Amino acid sequence: MNADTFADRLAAYLPVLLHGAGMTLIVAALAIVAGFALGAALLGLSLHRQGRGPLARAVALYVSFFRGTPLLVQLLMLFYLPSAFGVDLPPLLVAVLAMSLNSGAFQSEILRAGLAAVPKGQIEAAAIFGLSPQQVFRYVQLPQVARAVWPALVSEAIDVVKNSSIVSVIAVAELARGGRQIVAANFRPLEVYLTVGATYLLMTGAIFALGAWLGKRMGQGRRASAAVMNRIAINKT
Amino acid sequence: MAGAAHSADLLDTIKSKKEIVVGTEAQFAPFEFVQDGKIVGYGPDLMNLILADAPGVKVKQFDVPFQGILPGLATKRFDFVVTSVTMTKDRAAKFAFTVPIADATTALVKRKDDAALTDPAGIAGKVVGSQAGSAQLKALQDYAKKLQAEGKPAVTIREYVSFDEAYADLAAGRLSAVAQSLANLATLVKTRSDVYAVIDQPIGPKTYFGWVGRKDADSASLVKFFSDGIARAAKSGQLQALQTKWFGFTMDVPTDSVPAPEL
Repeated sequence: MNADTFADRLAAYLPVLLHGAGMTLIVAALAIVAGFALGAALLGLSLHRQGRGPLARAVALYVSFFRGTPLLVQLLMLFYLPSAFGVDLPPLLVAVLAMSLNSGAFQSEILRAGLAAVPKGQIEAAAIFGLSPQQVFRYVQLPQVARAVWPALVSEAIDVVKNSSIVSVIAVAELARGGRQIVAANFRPLEVYLTVGATYLLMTGAIFALGAWLGKRMGQGRRASAAVMNRIAINKT
Repeated sequence: MAGAAHSADLLDTIKSKKEIVVGTEAQFAPFEFVQDGKIVGYGPDLMNLILADAPGVKVKQFDVPFQGILPGLATKRFDFVVTSVTMTKDRAAKFAFTVPIADATTALVKRKDDAALTDPAGIAGKVVGSQAGSAQLKALQDYAKKLQAEGKPAVTIREYVSFDEAYADLAAGRLSAVAQSLANLATLVKTRSDVYAVIDQPIGPKTYFGWVGRKDADSASLVKFFSDGIARAAKSGQLQALQTKWFGFTMDVPTDSVPAPEL
């Protein structure tokens, strides 16, 4: 603990910070994936009856609640409320649950914006060419929606990684908490928090790079899907 | 072991379930902090010593920020709180304290190179920090009022989420002093003797750290179990040995009964 040089101290920090970073990645990865599934499901429900039924209103209420209240409050409510009624959920489960419910609200809005980006005329044109609704979705809507929402989804994933820094309030020892634990024992905040910040930057940088690479591949997919469209059109005529 | 007429309370449940759920703010060296991924310190050592009387009971320890400790106890998220909680009137009205585990009397820490500040009254007209919601903050506020009543310039008080941020601002020169218990400051000054120095006079009344349980019949025997354990450790000299191990000095704490809080 009283190591003299920064390099010695860094070697002592790393195991704690790596353990914390692992926890951050687990929570964030689960929340991003579950949040996407939830977001897609919410969007599907809200489109029910052209978005005018009670289901659509329920989804709108859900989304405005989870986008309109702080994640910290959502975490604390999910952690302390059930135990007041005798239900004990493990902290890690509550952390993933709260972050998924929160990210799901944001991701459903991202997907909604993407869907709106496909002009109605294209869908009508595809139907006139004789494509079934499934084919319209698979070959016309999905590729364009995916390309339109991809940058926003990558930025949401980065947000989730950073937001996970507050799940320590319910006893999940992620990266930021690891840093605080070290500072509480050695009273050297500056270098510890700089190291923590650099570790976050590494993680979000990796997501950004992966997102850019996948986004580029999707751009190449555009030509491939155009080729498929041509083939379908030829087969039909 | 329990008689037929005796309905199972929290302590019985813990013994039969062989698990106690404990809330701890592991950010309070040397009382409780994390080293190599494990919660260690004076508190955990004392807890393990006492739990030897409940063989087979495993500890499930949650590390949460101090602001979540007492709410978590109230909502039954934890069975018991093993973190240093300063005994105050407000807290004693809502929760059941064990007998004291250590002295919590507040003192001030300053920058080592600040030669102008030599006694507590020197903070008049300066900026001083402490942790929001802490008993040490309350002691500081009372002390600042006392100084002002004596006709000295007002103390500007800043509140922080944790003491660590207050220490950082003190080192950065934004604060002249930080009010914290002398027991904690001893460790701060030992670890960073290059930066900090203690002003060796208490401010405010004598206070103590204790552990906390809920104030209901269900928890009464559990709180008594820990109180008795602390008192036994004090009699056998083990409490003083742990104090020497973690603080480097021993403290005079009354373990016969829970003292009435003055703060």
